Amino acid sequence: MKISFTGKKYISLASVIFMLLVWKLLSMHFDSDFVIPSPEKTLLATLKLFTDASFLSIAGSTVARGLTGFIISLVLGIGTGIVTGINPYVDAFLRPVLVTIRSIPVISIILLALIWFNPGSVPVFIGLLTMFPFITTNVSDGIKSIDRDLVDMAAFYRVSRERIVRELYIPAIMPFIVSGASSALGIGWRAIIIGEVLSQPEYGIGTMMQTAQTFLNIDAVIAWTIIAVLISYGFEKTIRWIEGRFINWRS
Amino acid sequence: MRLEIKDLHKKFGDLTLFSDFSIEFHEGTITSILGPSGCGKTTLLNIIGDVIKPDSGQLSGFSEKTISYIFQDPRLLPWKTVRENIDFVLGRDMPAEERKKITDQLIRLMELEDFAAYYPSKLSGGMRQRVSIARAFAYPSEIILMDEPLKGLDIKLKLSLIRIFSRMWQADKRTVIFVTHDVDEALLLGSDIIVLSRAPARVLFKKQIEIPFENRSLESDYFRELEKDLMTALGN
Repeated sequence: MKISFTGKKYISLASVIFMLLVWKLLSMHFDSDFVIPSPEKTLLATLKLFTDASFLSIAGSTVARGLTGFIISLVLGIGTGIVTGINPYVDAFLRPVLVTIRSIPVISIILLALIWFNPGSVPVFIGLLTMFPFITTNVSDGIKSIDRDLVDMAAFYRVSRERIVRELYIPAIMPFIVSGASSALGIGWRAIIIGEVLSQPEYGIGTMMQTAQTFLNIDAVIAWTIIAVLISYGFEKTIRWIEGRFINWRS
Repeated sequence: MRLEIKDLHKKFGDLTLFSDFSIEFHEGTITSILGPSGCGKTTLLNIIGDVIKPDSGQLSGFSEKTISYIFQDPRLLPWKTVRENIDFVLGRDMPAEERKKITDQLIRLMELEDFAAYYPSKLSGGMRQRVSIARAFAYPSEIILMDEPLKGLDIKLKLSLIRIFSRMWQADKRTVIFVTHDVDEALLLGSDIIVLSRAPARVLFKKQIEIPFENRSLESDYFRELEKDLMTALGN
């Protein structure tokens, strides 16, 4: 991979250094590992996590929950998005449902899910409910934004229905799916970790954070946070890569 | 076989566009249809293309024909390159190498070689319309319907597109029905000129031009005279 440092990149780099500096100053000010451990100590704790034998099971479990929730909501969201985008009656019926789901505080859903599901499934369910409305709404908007003139053109030229769907509808909604997926994952990932903190599955980043917090291992809490941020960054990069790969026609 | 519309009726709500309307087209020629905006020119094309059903009337000669379209806006798929846009309308019953041959040929004839891999967003308005013309000729049609394809382009572009179009047309002389409200365009491209009235449409004026395209000049006395006649007819 080629990395070119432009002016903007230098400023972003300066921003990261600035955040680390503020962190360092705060840790020096409070001078207590129980309040804010120093950045270098936390970095060591983070590196140590990577070498931990159960690291892969822990991070892997959380990623698997995230991806499961994401893929289910992607499939459901694209399905309902297409139906609501095409049929205004279904749209009118489902809109209040989606608004309700989106307005429910995540913590309420977690509290209920704790009663309904086993600890490992709670975070998946939370992720699903937070991500699904984003994807549905975006896909629905995408379908509504399809240029009727293009569909007419294809029909005039007697292009088959199947090809109109594959070569016209799907590419037209792709950008909407990608942007829906991006915001959904951003929100969903955080909700999944909250779910883990409260449901305490055997393996999970949230579980580890909760345990570390109980024993006042503040450096471990922050270290797991850094790992969660890195994974989230990885998701975002992957989505951007998919976007660049498949939606290269926009100027 | 004659291409004919007889006793056409079409109403949209209270607006009667066609009432007892009849018109005839010569196969293998370009017919320019002039008329004020809102007189039903586009509707007429849609009825011919079997996209809109008439309230009543007979169409003869059109039903078994395949038809290409050149619309006012080029209607290209933004996610397909110039080449893919032309290929898009070719039926998949045609083998891939046959489709490639046709697409290559049209790209060459329309002088689009340097842009074949471009997406429409990278092309100018005139270039996009050129792709849309290439697409219409690539499609194995017997009739080409054109709905104000030159509207909004500057005069130089118009003239160059008219030149390219007539050159392309010479190759297999398909039947072209060209709807416009611009007298100069109609005169430069049409062999038959028809002027329609305001809705409900009637044929106000009909004229055949025998002069080949390459010898036509809007500056000549013949065309000046004709232009005056058309303007008078349109003024009604």
